[in-house]
Amino acid sequence: MNRARWERVQALFHGALDRPTADRRRFVEQEAGPDPELIADVLGMLAQDESQVSLLDRGLGPAAQAVVGRLDEAMLGRQLFGPYRLLRILGEGGMGVVYLADRADLGTQAAIKILPDAWLSPARRERFLAEQRTLAQLNHPGIALLYDADTLPDGTPWFAMEYVDGLPLTEWCRAHQSAVPERLRLFRLVCEAVRHAHQHAVIHRDLKPSNILVRPDGVVKLLDFGIAKQLEAMDLPADQTRTGLRALTPAYAAPEQLRGGRIGVHSDVYSLGVVLYELLARRLPYDLVGRTPEEAAAIIAAREPVRPSVASRQTAAQAGELWSSMGASAWADLDVLCLTAMRQDPARRYQTVDALIREVDRYLSGEPLEARPDTVGYRLGKFVRRNRAAVVAGGVVASLVVGLVGFYTIRLTSARNGALAEAARSERIQRFTLNLFRGGETAVAPAESLRVVSLLEGGVREAAGLDREPAVQAELFQTLGTVFQQLGKFDRADSLLTRAVALRDARRDTTSTDLARSLVLLGRLRIDQARLEDADSLIRRGLGILRRSLPADHPSVVDASVALGLALQKRGRYDEAIGILGGVIQVDSATGVPDRTRAAHLRELGNAYFYAGHYPAADSLGRVVLALDRAEYGEQHPEVATDLAAIGEIEVVLGKYADAEQSYRQALAITRGWYGEDHPENAANLTRLGRALTYEKQVPEATIALEQALAIQERVFGPVHPQTAEALNELGNLAWTEDKYDLAEARFRRALGIYRAVFGERHQFVGVAMSNLASVLSEKKDYRTAEDLYRRSIAIYEVELSPDHVNTGIGHIKLGRTLLRQRRYAGAVVESRKGYDILIRQTDPATSFIRAARRDLAAAYDSLGQPQHSARFHAELADTARAATGS
Amino acid sequence: MISPATGSDQDAVDRLFSAAYEELKRLARAVQRGEQSVTLTPTALVNEAWLKLSASPALGRLSRLEFKRVAARAMRQVLIEAARRRIADKRGGGLTAVTLDESFSQAAVSAADLLQLHDALDALALLNPRQAAMVEGRFFGGLEIPEIAELLGISEATVLRDWRAARAWLAHELHPTS
Repeated sequence: MNRARWERVQALFHGALDRPTADRRRFVEQEAGPDPELIADVLGMLAQDESQVSLLDRGLGPAAQAVVGRLDEAMLGRQLFGPYRLLRILGEGGMGVVYLADRADLGTQAAIKILPDAWLSPARRERFLAEQRTLAQLNHPGIALLYDADTLPDGTPWFAMEYVDGLPLTEWCRAHQSAVPERLRLFRLVCEAVRHAHQHAVIHRDLKPSNILVRPDGVVKLLDFGIAKQLEAMDLPADQTRTGLRALTPAYAAPEQLRGGRIGVHSDVYSLGVVLYELLARRLPYDLVGRTPEEAAAIIAAREPVRPSVASRQTAAQAGELWSSMGASAWADLDVLCLTAMRQDPARRYQTVDALIREVDRYLSGEPLEARPDTVGYRLGKFVRRNRAAVVAGGVVASLVVGLVGFYTIRLTSARNGALAEAARSERIQRFTLNLFRGGETAVAPAESLRVVSLLEGGVREAAGLDREPAVQAELFQTLGTVFQQLGKFDRADSLLTRAVALRDARRDTTSTDLARSLVLLGRLRIDQARLEDADSLIRRGLGILRRSLPADHPSVVDASVALGLALQKRGRYDEAIGILGGVIQVDSATGVPDRTRAAHLRELGNAYFYAGHYPAADSLGRVVLALDRAEYGEQHPEVATDLAAIGEIEVVLGKYADAEQSYRQALAITRGWYGEDHPENAANLTRLGRALTYEKQVPEATIALEQALAIQERVFGPVHPQTAEALNELGNLAWTEDKYDLAEARFRRALGIYRAVFGERHQFVGVAMSNLASVLSEKKDYRTAEDLYRRSIAIYEVELSPDHVNTGIGHIKLGRTLLRQRRYAGAVVESRKGYDILIRQTDPATSFIRAARRDLAAAYDSLGQPQHSARFHAELADTARAATGS
Repeated sequence: MISPATGSDQDAVDRLFSAAYEELKRLARAVQRGEQSVTLTPTALVNEAWLKLSASPALGRLSRLEFKRVAARAMRQVLIEAARRRIADKRGGGLTAVTLDESFSQAAVSAADLLQLHDALDALALLNPRQAAMVEGRFFGGLEIPEIAELLGISEATVLRDWRAARAWLAHELHPTS
């Protein structure tokens, strides 16, 4: 067929169509002439024109259905998914298909999520794997746990996770006819799971009741972290299409999500607010069925939703039920709680899920909400209701807290005498802090530190009002700042401590020890914030002032010196740190400080020695610290275990493996006794013990220890967790030393798989695991694969560490050896040389690898027939051998 | 499937293929559920993806109609690639491919049919590029007659006529009747 002929065919076709059906055949036969093919073609076309049932007529649907998104039924029976066997489909989302599977060997069930047609785009595959990585990092009772991950032979990725057999949250509450307190309790569980995700920098983006399942036993599980992420290209909630074909609503999506704006933690907070609304009111805040995202956003923007209290009453009336009348003010608080989470402006919502949880807690224990306007009457009213018995004495304290500013200003104006003012001031500050903590609770336990934060914030507000007394104000800011630092709230601590310094600096008193102390405190915060240069200069400035005004053994000077020593140690300037901390130790001996303080100082010095590589000194100091801690805390305390493990680390470095084994065994006995069996500290100590036993070549015992460590880690962290990978790595090393290469390979592969799943392709741990695997493969003579793995690990190191890093150097040397074994001498020379040059320049040279590089280079050059190059390395080898034997 | 251009171009192309795939899945599911043919036109792809993808430099230059045409090409490529892999899987595994958990649709289309269509379309493109473009746009992209007319710069009557012939010929190529 050519163009001209095609034109002819068409002409005949259309000509025939112009004729009555009965005449068409004769027309074609006549016009076509003696060309049977032509006739057949045209007649065939005419026949098809009539029938209208070809593929082209049935639309794209059947074609799509034939080839897209399908899995072979044969997969159902076969053991393609590790130990899992697919049973039936559970559901389908944007980002994969979920099946129910069972595990014949354990009799348990799991949900398996598969990405069919993974070949479609690397980005799509990457998004699927991102969900897998997300789940791997999240380990929380409220989040479905990741069990396993792998790919099928054709490249289709899959992962197995916890199967949750439950009802959507709203359904469950309806079925159990749950009252408001229970609904709130379940809601709080959901929030805890979301908070955990946020702490791992994961925003769910698709929170809604169908993603929140409640099991028959009342356990709440959060699902589906991938569905929402897959749609980042569209920034639409999972079940919304503009054409409305799926007839679902954007009911739970935050306004910024609907408008395609920036999504953050606040978007999840909004969604949680809507879920809470639905739990309370038993209907949704807005009717958005069938709306497009823009329409939905406009509706939400147009007006506030009906208050949950009102909506709840309406729903009850419509259903002919009694309304849960918990009291007007209780409902009022719920309204505030819910609507604050649902504010349109993200900045006006609860800024974190943690804040939301705290509010729920406050509500449940009858305390004033934070989001409430802070009128005195409201606060006292709440207080009185909670604590009727203690109201008399408590009332005095409460009014103290509330009326703080007024109280202090009166006292201040009446104290004219400077000294009196000074005395009064410190007494006031003490009492201020005490009162803050006594403001309604009898004791402040760590679990209540969050309530402390709100009290502290109250204190900050009060202090901010003391502008006319900058000295008092500065002291208050400092006190509050250090408490925030203890609580880990570095940002708050930062602003407060900085203000304290600024206030004191403004007085232009360069000999002020107050200023110096503030500088040191701010410097210590900077260490915690890892801003080490700032820390260094702040502390030095403070220390300088203190040294000029105070004797050398004054506690403030000592404290500042320790701070400086710590900063230097963190910066890697170990010798300077040792100098300073050594001075501190001398002062300690002379002044007789409490043992606890001395032990802390010695521990810092010991760390500095260790990092500096002065192992014997680190060892002796470590033992002193151990003795002090034993005396202070008793034999079975975790602090003592930490000291023992630290001693073990030193003993390993010094090659005293049997001693290290004893130290680790003792540490392990303590942590087992203190924490019970399933604790990460046990796993850590077992891993260390296993390593030491490996060095001692006590292989069976090492295997037992490491397998125990692995078992604990799998129980505690789950099978896809970096800690588990670490244990697998050690087990792999072990198998390698026993020449059990297949076993070693299997373990390294698994470790590699875990690191990849958790960290992605470009993390340095992935490089390490690749390198280990490559070494084993090299032993098995699979040089090509080993070479590829080495190259990839080097590429990772160059970017993630640096081109001059010791690991990069070692990688090159290993690669060089692999090339040497393949007799690729020229290539071997290049790589070994690269590695050699890198390692030679290290301050702490890895001597065994340098020796290996020298040997390989000598051998390679010899084989290339270049003795003029190999001579150098032969000589270096001889030199070091002579030096080692002392001849 | 498409050679990568610049970073953001590749990103847009990637998203286009993903959107095409999602659309195909939607259609497949609709067929499985037995929906009426009115929902089986691939229009959602264009409506939903258009505004988002038009922000990218590679695709933003195009008019809405040109974009639809590009989208149709993407749909075709995704489908054909899926068909090829399906056939390869079958050959490799030696197993019959069956839908996982529900009944067949009547007169199911096969992967082989799709590949045949693909080849036939390529052949048609050599004979008359305009007709091939027409079929591609209509079948894979759901373009309407007026849209095709505007895109190709011809009258609707011409479109109808050419379509009729092309359709008949392709059908004949796929299922020759004596």
